[in-house]
Amino acid sequence: MIYCAGHSIISPLGEGTQANIEAVQAGRSGLKKYTDRFADVEPFCASLFDTPQDFVPLCIRSIELALNEQIIKCENAQTIFILSTTKGDQLDLWSPAQQIAAHFHNPNPPIVVSNACTSGVCAQITAMRLLESGLYRHAVVVGCDLQSRFIVSGFQAFKALSPEPCTPFDPNRKGLNLGEAAATIIYTTEPTDSWRLVAGSIHNDANHISAPSRTGEGAFLCLKDVLNGVQPSEITRIGVHGTGTLYNDDMERIALQRAGLADVPMSVLKPHFGHTMGAAGVLETILCAEMASNSQCTMHNSQIIKMLSGFGGVNAAIRIEK
Amino acid sequence: MLVELYRRFAGDYPKFFKMDTLCRLGFIAAEILLKGQTSQCEKEQMSIILANRSASIKNDTDYLATISEGNYYPSPSLFVYTLPNIVTGEIAIRHHIQGETSFYILESPEQLEPIIKSYFSSPLKGGPRGALTGWCECSKPNDFYAKMQIIYGTTD
Amino acid sequence: MEQLIEQLKSQIIEALNFEDLTPADIETDAPLFGEGLGLDSIDALELIMLMDREYGIKLADPKQGKQIFRSVRTMAEYIQEHRTK
Repeated sequence: MIYCAGHSIISPLGEGTQANIEAVQAGRSGLKKYTDRFADVEPFCASLFDTPQDFVPLCIRSIELALNEQIIKCENAQTIFILSTTKGDQLDLWSPAQQIAAHFHNPNPPIVVSNACTSGVCAQITAMRLLESGLYRHAVVVGCDLQSRFIVSGFQAFKALSPEPCTPFDPNRKGLNLGEAAATIIYTTEPTDSWRLVAGSIHNDANHISAPSRTGEGAFLCLKDVLNGVQPSEITRIGVHGTGTLYNDDMERIALQRAGLADVPMSVLKPHFGHTMGAAGVLETILCAEMASNSQCTMHNSQIIKMLSGFGGVNAAIRIEK
Repeated sequence: MLVELYRRFAGDYPKFFKMDTLCRLGFIAAEILLKGQTSQCEKEQMSIILANRSASIKNDTDYLATISEGNYYPSPSLFVYTLPNIVTGEIAIRHHIQGETSFYILESPEQLEPIIKSYFSSPLKGGPRGALTGWCECSKPNDFYAKMQIIYGTTD
Repeated sequence: MEQLIEQLKSQIIEALNFEDLTPADIETDAPLFGEGLGLDSIDALELIMLMDREYGIKLADPKQGKQIFRSVRTMAEYIQEHRTK
């Protein structure tokens, strides 16, 4: 078990976790239609920063917002920096991680998790293992991706983008929207009064590199693992991936049914933020954890599951307790 | 050279020719290690955890060539390989491995050791666990390097 | 038509990286998906891009592909009728 010691979100909807929570509660969306943001690509709908951002400064700002210097000393060798991203700074993944860690005078080589769209959850699982095994005491997990001609053209070639704001789990859903964001969670081995990460699991469908499993195999195995020690009825909320593509949402429904979780309230955040790729797992974990505990007056623990799936047949899930 | 190795060690998997160089490299390394081996753990408990320094940059460059201005025909089959973790998925499909698949971008192969160590010490699941793990790097055409091993361990 | 079919077979082999196949190995009327050549969803998207790149045909709805990509012949017939280059 590891403890949250700070978090932040920077998205087109606002700067800081609280601003983003308020935006979601007010029903605001960052999704807009773009016709000439990138050369050659067809018109698309996405959640993009009005002013194009630079990757490294954006990550640094996100970490600064999340940091409580009284608990976490970045320059300490017991702190590890973990970056979750799919395309990094214009296709470079290693150098930006190094620049970020260097900015905070951290002496350890950083770790970059690049596990497609599951990266943000996988990065938290990596942090949990490294902290639990005693190698480090604190982890700075930052997730970030910025959109580009490269990414939008590829998703268009895949016919995966919806020209309208996405409608996950709707029978008439038309696909996903891409998004930009940076989000940070600081984890520590010492108890805090915030939520804690108690379990995490990653499984592959072993079926196809781009099409989700028709039986939700990998996602089901992840859910089964994170349910270890709790009953499905104890889960108070599930943050699904909910991209809005035909096959993803169907696969998740099957996996949830197989795991006995079909009746648990679901959070779907992509209609507000789009699919923020490497940031998604971090951003959506923060919002699910913070909003579940704000909106539900529970006498006992909130138990929240966050799940994601991605290209390469990979699936990941974590369980958060508050 | 990779095609030659494919014909020698596999030969029965036409999907090989659709893969980018990083996947071909990882596929062959895994083929050599796993062929004829009896796994010491369940397929859900076998993992593939790989790393390199330059992600999928060689294939990223190939995909960029399909979206050059004036000649814009983005290739879906190249785009899908612009993620480094696809190699772990290709190996999982070939060998029906349903455990964890993870890909890390690191400074050097030594940096993977504590990550693997912590994977085996994490308390989530009991019973025997295995991992195909190592370095799988391809930064330029005809410049590639892979070093993998299979590790078994037990927790609880 | 026959010429187009032959040309299309070569283009399919190149676009889908069938390194072990020659145009003679592809039957004109055999199904491309399923048991025939065993193409998958990414191959279908690549064929859509091939039609755009080589023949100037844009398929807005990937579901259209199901009919068009039944065999090399159905593909050639569609191209013959709709090509813009």
